[in-house]
Amino acid sequence: MRRNGAFALVFNGIFALFMVAPLVVVIGVAFTPEGYLEFPPSGLSFRWFQAILDNPDFIEAAWISLELGVVSATLATAFAVPAALAIGRGRFAGREGMQALFLSPLTVPTVVLGIAFLRFLSLFDINGTFVGLVLCHAIIITPFILRLVLASVAGLDRSLEKAAISLGASDWTVFRRVTLPLILPGVVGGWVLAFITSFDELTVTVFIVNPSTTTLPVRLFSHITQTTDPLVASISTVVILFTVLLMVVLDRLYGLDRLLMGEGAR
Amino acid sequence: MSFLDLRSLTKRFGDISAVEDFSLSVAKGEFVSLLGPSGCGKTTTLQMIAGFINPTSGSMILNGKNLAAIPARARGLGIVFQTYALFPHMTVAENVGFGLEMRKVPKAERKRRVAEALDLVHLSHLTDRHPQAMSGGQRQRVALGRALVIQPELLLLDEPLSNLDAKLRDEMRLELRRIHKEAGVTTLLVTHDQDEAMALSDRVAVMRQGRLEQVDTPFEAYEGPRSTFISGFLGKTNTLRGDLLETTESGSRFRREGLILDGPVAHHIPGPVEVCLRPERIDLVEADEALVSGIVSERIFLGNQWLFRVDTPLGELMICRRNRGRREAEPGETVHLSWKPEHLRILPVEVQG
Ligand SMILES: Nc1ncnc2c1ncn2[C@@H]1O[C@H](COP(=O)(O)OP(=O)(O)OP(=O)(O)O)[C@@H](O)[C@H]1O
Ligand SMILES: [Mg+2]
Repeated sequence: MRRNGAFALVFNGIFALFMVAPLVVVIGVAFTPEGYLEFPPSGLSFRWFQAILDNPDFIEAAWISLELGVVSATLATAFAVPAALAIGRGRFAGREGMQALFLSPLTVPTVVLGIAFLRFLSLFDINGTFVGLVLCHAIIITPFILRLVLASVAGLDRSLEKAAISLGASDWTVFRRVTLPLILPGVVGGWVLAFITSFDELTVTVFIVNPSTTTLPVRLFSHITQTTDPLVASISTVVILFTVLLMVVLDRLYGLDRLLMGEGAR
Repeated sequence: MSFLDLRSLTKRFGDISAVEDFSLSVAKGEFVSLLGPSGCGKTTTLQMIAGFINPTSGSMILNGKNLAAIPARARGLGIVFQTYALFPHMTVAENVGFGLEMRKVPKAERKRRVAEALDLVHLSHLTDRHPQAMSGGQRQRVALGRALVIQPELLLLDEPLSNLDAKLRDEMRLELRRIHKEAGVTTLLVTHDQDEAMALSDRVAVMRQGRLEQVDTPFEAYEGPRSTFISGFLGKTNTLRGDLLETTESGSRFRREGLILDGPVAHHIPGPVEVCLRPERIDLVEADEALVSGIVSERIFLGNQWLFRVDTPLGELMICRRNRGRREAEPGETVHLSWKPEHLRILPVEVQG
């Protein structure tokens, strides 16, 4: 590999610092013994981690976010994989239109989406319900999965599927035994990105939750609009830890760069 | 009736005619090559037989069955793809066993037959490897084993050797011959490599722009090309345009650039024709025996042979001579050329389309 020059090193260093600094601050603040957001912390205390346990509504919100993330990411994946296969190699009218449509949630301002979903869910009388949240999140996160799976599909050698067919495999067997295993890194990577996106989605969600379905980001947001105690910092720290763990596990299983770059199995 | 019968097979993609009125009969156990330049419709023909492309018209009969009525998955053909198309997430044994698995062959028998197939392609020692960890030649063998293990009625090979380097290609060519002999399977090979086609096949079918131009044994096709295209495609040739003056029962006479040459008996109406003369049929002789003389303009050494370009009154002629370890004419030298009249091949003028 080529060595980086001094300039690139400094530039990348500053960039990394810039990205990591907020996290360092949040984690630092979480350990403060004081009752306000203090950085650097004047001591080391687990007081605010203790406080999480005294606030069951946060824990409940975390569970809702977790469930919501898992269910909506899975739903969106189940939809995005066949869509990507169709778009990625089909040759039919409206292919590009379909792709643009499914990727559009990326480009529509989220506030607009939030208001739209609010109106839309009210029509069906499911505003504020878990089902309503799942549907909205699935729509928002579909583009993330679709893009990664599309990249995997693009790298797929069609003759592999033809080979399987010539050996007697049915369409379903071809998908299960050949296509899916080959695009799996893209699918898993997409699912993870989608899960993370759903887990910390705020802008849209604020419009469509009710008190019984409040997600963690919404709960945190409404908390800091009322008080500024370091509880939000300690919760954030736990979330960061959780995310890092997830990434480590995935890296062990599949290799992170492969997942997030959306490369097919080579 | 022949084993594989393709009749008037035609495929059009919109306005493009990829394959046009293609008819070919193949006997059981025969090895036939589809040979032709890039884009002439070889792959399209093979894919129609395989069932991945629907013919626009025409029929395909294999062993009495109408192929068009059978879906690709049920045709039971062995196919080797140009890119090998090995499943990267499966081991060699799993790759080879895939077709048997699809046929619900019991595990014990599957294992035995996979072992047999790997034995046939000389890969028994690599059963548990993954394809990524293999060389091109080894992958090629896996692909062959995978196609053969299902005991196909017909083996289809699409440029199976084109991804290999020259030395390996020669080696795999011999392997392919051996495997075909041992397995005895009727084989259709697609290639644009004339040496490959001639070395391997019982018959070569030369295609051009979607049409079948000639089907013959390699020797007959080489010696009796039906067009200057085939003559030029199968090996090297000198093509001379001129006029056929007369044909008699004992021979013919041909004129070019004011020179009159004797040729073989020809069944053409006197008039413009093209004459093909293989470079290896031209002899270097003494001046008094020469049909024509010329000056060597270029000399290429190819190891086992020499290639000369000679400027003659007839035009530039290519001459091929076996390397006998002796001194050969150098550029600038005058050489005297001769050949037997029967080595001229008189052909109709190509209509450039
Ligand atoms: N799906 C398609 N749509 C339109 N035209 C096609 C399609 N497939 C093939 N063709 C055209 O049909 C012709 C024959 O293609 P084919 O792939 O059979 O050639 P080939 O003889 O296999 O060539 P090569 O040696 O380059 O592989 C070409 O002109 C090609 O452009
Ligand atoms: Mg081809």
